[in-house]
Amino acid sequence: MKIFKTLLIILLMVAVVSATAQTADEIIDNYFENTGGAEAWNNLQGIKYVGSANAQGMTIPVEYYLTKDGKQLLKINLQGQEMVQFSFDGEKMWTTNFMTMQPEEADSETTQNMKNQTMDFPDPFLNYKEKGYSVELLGKETMEGTETYKIKLTRKPMLVDGKEEPNVTYFYFETENFVPIATEAEVKQGPMKGQVVKDTMSDYQEVDGLYFPFAITMGGGQPVTITEIVLNPEIDEAMFLMPAAAGSEEKN
Amino acid sequence: MKKLIFLLMAALTIPVVLPAQEISLKGKELFGDMKARHIGPALMSGRINDLETHPTNPRILYAATAGGGVWKSSDGGATFVPIFDDYVQSIGVVKLDPKDPDQTIWVGTGETWTRNSVSIGDGLYKSTDGGSNWKEIPGFENSERIASIAINPENTDIVYVGVLGALWSDSEDRGVYKTTDGGKTWNKILYVNKSTGAADVIMDQSNPNILYASMWEFRRTAWGFNSGGENSALYKTTDGGKTWNKIHNGFPAGKLGRIAVEIAPSDTNIIYAVLETEDKTKNGLWKSTDAGASWEHLNSDFGLTVRPFYFSRITVDPRNPDIVVKGGLNGSISRDGGKTFKSLGNMHSDIHDVVFHINDSDVMYSGTDGGVYRSWNGGTTFEIVENLPLSQFYHISVDDAEPYNVYGGLQDNGSWYGPSSAPGGVNARDWNSVGYGDGFRVLKHPTKNIIYSEMQGAENVWRYDVDRNRTKTIQPLPKKGDAKLRFNWNAPMAVSHHVPDRFYMGSQFVHRSDDMGDSWTIISPDLTTNDPTKQDQSNSGGLSVDNSGAENHTTIFTIAESPLDENILWVGTDDGNVQLTQDGGKTWNNVTANLTGIPANTWVYHIEASVHNKGTAYAVFEGHTKGDFKPYALKTTDFGKTWKSIVSDDIQDNAFVRNIQEDYVNEDLLFLGTEMGLYVTIDGGKNWSHFTNNMPPVAVHFIDLQKQTNDLVMGTHGRGVIIIDDISPLRELDQEVLNKDVHFFETKPFVMVEDSGFSGNFGGETQFVGANKNTAARIVYYLKKRHTFGKMTMEVQDMEGNKVVSLDAGKSKGINVVYWPYTTNIPKMAEAKTLSFGGFTAPRVAAGTYKVVLKKGNDTYEQLIELKYDDKSLTTLAERKEQEEFTRNMFNMVEDLAYMVYELNEYQDKAQEVIDSKPKGKKLAQKTYDALEELKKELVVTTGDNYVASAEPQLRERMGNLYSGIASSYDRVSGAQKANYDLISEEWREAQVKFAEIKKKEVAKLLSFVEKNEIESPAIKSKEEFLDKD
Repeated sequence: MKIFKTLLIILLMVAVVSATAQTADEIIDNYFENTGGAEAWNNLQGIKYVGSANAQGMTIPVEYYLTKDGKQLLKINLQGQEMVQFSFDGEKMWTTNFMTMQPEEADSETTQNMKNQTMDFPDPFLNYKEKGYSVELLGKETMEGTETYKIKLTRKPMLVDGKEEPNVTYFYFETENFVPIATEAEVKQGPMKGQVVKDTMSDYQEVDGLYFPFAITMGGGQPVTITEIVLNPEIDEAMFLMPAAAGSEEKN
Repeated sequence: MKKLIFLLMAALTIPVVLPAQEISLKGKELFGDMKARHIGPALMSGRINDLETHPTNPRILYAATAGGGVWKSSDGGATFVPIFDDYVQSIGVVKLDPKDPDQTIWVGTGETWTRNSVSIGDGLYKSTDGGSNWKEIPGFENSERIASIAINPENTDIVYVGVLGALWSDSEDRGVYKTTDGGKTWNKILYVNKSTGAADVIMDQSNPNILYASMWEFRRTAWGFNSGGENSALYKTTDGGKTWNKIHNGFPAGKLGRIAVEIAPSDTNIIYAVLETEDKTKNGLWKSTDAGASWEHLNSDFGLTVRPFYFSRITVDPRNPDIVVKGGLNGSISRDGGKTFKSLGNMHSDIHDVVFHINDSDVMYSGTDGGVYRSWNGGTTFEIVENLPLSQFYHISVDDAEPYNVYGGLQDNGSWYGPSSAPGGVNARDWNSVGYGDGFRVLKHPTKNIIYSEMQGAENVWRYDVDRNRTKTIQPLPKKGDAKLRFNWNAPMAVSHHVPDRFYMGSQFVHRSDDMGDSWTIISPDLTTNDPTKQDQSNSGGLSVDNSGAENHTTIFTIAESPLDENILWVGTDDGNVQLTQDGGKTWNNVTANLTGIPANTWVYHIEASVHNKGTAYAVFEGHTKGDFKPYALKTTDFGKTWKSIVSDDIQDNAFVRNIQEDYVNEDLLFLGTEMGLYVTIDGGKNWSHFTNNMPPVAVHFIDLQKQTNDLVMGTHGRGVIIIDDISPLRELDQEVLNKDVHFFETKPFVMVEDSGFSGNFGGETQFVGANKNTAARIVYYLKKRHTFGKMTMEVQDMEGNKVVSLDAGKSKGINVVYWPYTTNIPKMAEAKTLSFGGFTAPRVAAGTYKVVLKKGNDTYEQLIELKYDDKSLTTLAERKEQEEFTRNMFNMVEDLAYMVYELNEYQDKAQEVIDSKPKGKKLAQKTYDALEELKKELVVTTGDNYVASAEPQLRERMGNLYSGIASSYDRVSGAQKANYDLISEEWREAQVKFAEIKKKEVAKLLSFVEKNEIESPAIKSKEEFLDKD
């Protein structure tokens, strides 16, 4: 009789296992569960990433700040000079002109798209319904050589050359552990327009109870290595504000 | 209890999973990071089957191509991107849902202009997300070619599909199909017989229950074509397809051929039709002004009647019912309602479809045998879309140049050769024309700079002396007593591996020349079946005779000389014979009867004579011209006495085979070119894997393996030349390797190529550019499992274990490829107001052996790699060592300066702090600050920007430029550089002296003040700390 009980339990387990992860929501729930729990993710107020982008023998130090209230700033360091690649204070987005090293306001369309994206913090899937996003499980697919769930994430439409276009990203969650290991999205602007580019994520490591990928390749091949992640960092709000352009005495 | 027993039974039926030992040798996992690259060309593009505009957004345009998939433009036709690369590439039609045109797209596969060389489709597909994902609609798997899709604009769940169907066989999968639930269920609503398909199905957009359907009786064989019969007809329905009536009032009696039909969108009572009839004077354009109730014949010009099977598309201006365009050899346009026509402006010939811009009739798009063209002036001048690499190769070959060249001939686009890599990528301008007409085989003379090429049916075979720019026609010609020579449309040629000037051609005989084609000897009897019933092409075509030579049959199609023995020659014929000589043609042995599993008279498409063994050869067969799409590939090891099939169930059952390539090292590694892409086996054909990494399932007509590089080069019929760089890792894959957690593949020593030419290019913004081969060191390893959690790093070390550079490791399961461009890190530059561009140069490493170290969790894996200098180098070894030493010295000098400026800035900051906070020390601090500032202005730029407001270069900039000039040069250090080095070293020494003096005087005083006033001393990092790059 005992053996029957054991068998029964095994069978029930089989049933449970095969029933798991049948829907996109279950996969997403598992993802948050496996990376620290939705509550902990919800409690995050800000994240600071410190790392480097690597290209042709160059290691470019990068700092990236994100806050829950929608501010973002990406700073790089070239030859000891800090350059804000872009900053967004929730309303206004600015960049640094590489020729003059002076701040310039981003075009209105880019700013609007950035504004729509602020809800992504800290992860687009967290409370995605409240954000007005939708998800769809498209099935299993081999990605990075391994089995993944392919989930389609649709965010708010984005503006492209004056017209609204759907804003869709495909996320590939490794079936073994439910974390995303790759994304794919169509490039909407510039010379690559219309092509699909892939980002990959690996080297997930724990930071104060939450798991983040520490190795990322972006735009189909640009590697970014994260060395440090600070949760709820001290942030000087002033850094998001666009500085006044330098005066004319600098010109010669 | 009963229940428990039931459960127990259930448990027993669950398959027992044993611990995994045998790791599968197939699937996507196998290839990991190995990716194909596409080099085009796009300059002559390829055949377009259908064009589709968006109903409201003029930026959007789709092209359905004959062999290269579906492409979308979102910039008004300036550029296109492929959106159907996971599916069959032969496309009949693209249609957008009128209510949801941004998201819902229908694609009917299988090209519909039924020339001899067409490929096949495999059904109907639908996307509901703008082309990102596709679903196959069940029910059309055997449709072979879909010509039309018509969607009810009021209820887009109602869709009609016109299936033209099988070209080479009877089929019941033809006719008009209808769904009323968006594609879930279908009814066949118009069917005539097994040989008559739906050519055009169109809907009256003002009354979606009215449709017109032209039915076409047609059939192709390998040796002929028939268009027309009693069953061809034009039908109309007014009740959504419940009843159909022939509308022939005015048409001549008798057989009809292919019928084109179109409604004028601005007046749907006006219908145009183009007919192929028994009466030549009644061919061409017919018009109805009463919605098909009666017809009037208007025009039988050449442009309207030419080759109906190839050109049968009418387009009416959406705003003007009198402007009518007809596809054709040149395309024709009428502006008087079809009474008279003139040719469209110059563009590639063979126009299959024309569409008008949705808002402006001056703008037209045309789909031709050579890509998509745009007109801005109503069809008078046309310009080509330059980024559609749809070239349709029949054959390719490679040479042994560095980088090697690829040679090949194209459907309707001549013969060409171009480099496998070129400065700035493989551009249109890199390709060279070496033949006219349809191009087929192009071969390089093994030792001389001479190229052989040909046009259809060996009408011309050219010998092109590249250096002298001279051509000579050298095709075999009949002499007294010879039978009439029968050459295939795609006539076989071969050069000898053993006698460089020897050149073979095949008609029904094998012709051999030992003087590069000047004189020929027939060295075989007729090796074909010589079946006279397959030799009358003069009547081919049906109602319209079409004797282009494309249907010549009972000919030799492939000739393979053994790489091991010049007397062994294999020959395959288009009518199914495999013949062998082992004595240079004196005697021939017909081994066809020994073949296993090959239906009689199945086309022998390619024979590959093995490098491993004289008696070993591979033969591939394809029966698509008999409606048999099954893959066939055989291997013999005993001169054809016995054969064994090397095809497995892994290969799709419609992937007929045109080519096979063996590996020169591992006899079990084989590459199969099929109609549905590339398949690879690493176990001699027991298991096959479909290669899909950046490789669409396009028809692969020919494969070559370049010997020096181990690059697999494919000539595809729709996506140009596709290359998989260095397949050598596949040689090593076996169970032992697959069971290891990490395995590094052996690599040949890497040559650090020193090419440094220019690649300036303007006006090419919208051109396709082929991807180059990466010349960096290629580090290849296998991971048993995808690395997702925890740290995994890779670095290069010298043999003493010193780190040279970090690399970004690939984490995929399967094969990973990481490139190292032979450089270490860039120097740390002194901080300044602007950037020193010289500082972005990373020094190259010296030749030698290096260690690649992969750390994964707690495990470390190492692999040695060897780097060699380029043999073509301009320098001696001593000069190079001198250059490396200068580079090192300059690198250190640049970093020393960076450290000095850092120190200086730290003191300046401290001085500023004192100025700001201690009035007592202000004067002293100001003096220190100023002394430092004066020196700094000589060291680095302190004003200006990175562009035209840049300041005079200071020591850092000049030092950086010299460093960069020396480090990036492939030549010896020049006299000018050495003199400049002396100057900059001198300035640097002076700067060091000055800084030491300031430190001794002003800085020392400042620091002493700081100490006394209990201010924190400047925390200056050591040089090692400062330079730390991690």
